[in-house]
Amino acid sequence: MQISNMLGLDWLRQNAFVAVFGMAVPTIIFLLFVGYPILYTVYLSFFSWNGADGAKTFIGLQNYTDMWNDSYVWTALKNNFRWLVVTLIFPVVAGYSIAYVLRARLVPFPALVRTVIFFPVTMSLIAVGLMFLLILNPMFGALNVALESLGLGFLIREWFGDHRIAIYTLAFVSGWAFTGMPMIFYFAGLGDVPKETLDAARLEGAGHFRIATRIALPQLRPVTAVVVMLTIFESMRAFDLVAVMTKGAPFGSTTVLGYQVYLESFWNSRVGYGAAISTLILVLSAGLAALVLSRLMKGAFDG
Amino acid sequence: MADAANPVTRTNVSRPTTGALKWVMRAPGLFCLGLFLILWMAPILLVLITSVKSNADFLAGPFSLPSALTFAPYKTVWEALGFSTLMINSVIYATLGSALAVILALVPAYALARKNIPGQKIIFALLLTGLMIPQQTVLIPLYDTLRQLSLLDTKLGLIIVHAAYGMPSQVLILRGFMTGIPKELDKAAYLEGASDFQIFSKVILPLALPGIIVGYTLNFIAIWKEFIFGLVFLNSESNFPLTVGMLKLNSDRYMSVFNMPAAGLVISQIPIVIVFILTYRKLSSGQFAGAVKG
Repeated sequence: MQISNMLGLDWLRQNAFVAVFGMAVPTIIFLLFVGYPILYTVYLSFFSWNGADGAKTFIGLQNYTDMWNDSYVWTALKNNFRWLVVTLIFPVVAGYSIAYVLRARLVPFPALVRTVIFFPVTMSLIAVGLMFLLILNPMFGALNVALESLGLGFLIREWFGDHRIAIYTLAFVSGWAFTGMPMIFYFAGLGDVPKETLDAARLEGAGHFRIATRIALPQLRPVTAVVVMLTIFESMRAFDLVAVMTKGAPFGSTTVLGYQVYLESFWNSRVGYGAAISTLILVLSAGLAALVLSRLMKGAFDG
Repeated sequence: MADAANPVTRTNVSRPTTGALKWVMRAPGLFCLGLFLILWMAPILLVLITSVKSNADFLAGPFSLPSALTFAPYKTVWEALGFSTLMINSVIYATLGSALAVILALVPAYALARKNIPGQKIIFALLLTGLMIPQQTVLIPLYDTLRQLSLLDTKLGLIIVHAAYGMPSQVLILRGFMTGIPKELDKAAYLEGASDFQIFSKVILPLALPGIIVGYTLNFIAIWKEFIFGLVFLNSESNFPLTVGMLKLNSDRYMSVFNMPAAGLVISQIPIVIVFILTYRKLSSGQFAGAVKG
């Protein structure tokens, strides 16, 4: 074997085109459009900058102390966590229940059910938001009309006008659109659960609820970890529904961190401040993800 | 999805119930089915019905059926919002953006599936970062970069951004599929004197084709849904994708009678429905879920 071959030079010469374009181009694009922007956002968060001319002034932690005193940021932060709690419960529980019911063949037309629940995953949140603006409209919306005719008139609300519930309305709409994802992941995961385990439980007389919660679910921890991670990132990046449905109204009660970034950076020309809020989103997402990984995964990403 | 992979069904063997009793026992399941179907189908069906109502029919209430089908709302909203431009733009972004993402991802996915690259864990961490990063956190630097490259408010600029953000998930999905290809095939080809590139293009690529189709479709849908990049990086209406152009529907002009926004919604979803019908068996069987799990 020649030395040039041992060093891989022959391979490189033969495959220079593939090696260079195949590996280098994706790497450069990734670094330029994904890696560098993340670092630059953190860097910018220590500056005051209006975004237009070149004058960036280093102001240390000023943006962060401003954030501490900004009631909109606090509202947004609370709203992101409300959003997270709703989307950790509603779509995940619904998604898992549907996946289990489908796997256990407890309902007719499983393919139809799967399609119907998964379909909203393919809709843009702008379309979903517009759709629920129509459904939840206080005057002509189908939901209030339906509640009225079912004799549940006392449940009628101004779903977007009432500042106490508007953020939950948004979170539920988001959950409605998202349910297909946990369903698909759990559906795939349930297919991998050894059937002997479930057979044994069934023979011992365990009901479906018990099997679903006590026997199948503990075996699906890696799936749950992925689902919870997706849910965390989905709720931390919440933006589209707010932009199309409420624009933060009423009285800024439905703003979220992502929407504050957009407002401060591109409407108020406080780019450094926007970058500081971005950094907060980044730290929250990464911190929550790390927490979930350390608690739920325990080596599932190895190898 | 093979029936063999269905553990719960087999347990029926231990339950010799028949006839009416069986259906009583199934009642909770059927109730769930009904509830789920209503919750998830009703909004879509109501929008479909509203979109073909005349203004007079609309005032009869959300659950009334239209006295006659009218497609006037479609015509009006199509012209008022310039749906032909929005539609073409979204198709351009989704087809080219995801094509570029898949092409860029092919070699890295192959390398991660077959070669011992130093620092694999770091690469995976970076890919997951790219996959999970909230778009808001990169808007400002990206805006700046695009401005310096004179790509702000251009279709090319948005296509590149979409490709860059589609690439990480494509690498993970394709790597998942490529890892599933038996290594013996590479070895056999290698022993017959095939070069690395030949193994990649003649052995791996054809076998990874289902994965490529799944990845491409998922990316297509993701770009079709994407909103914030288009909102921030584009100014000219001639470049807007559907998601940005449709924002206009939420204004008094269109929201006074719901048939127009409903028609706009239906229009915006038609191309995705076509893609969905062509590929949903692959997508909803959760094959990609396994690939993403790594």
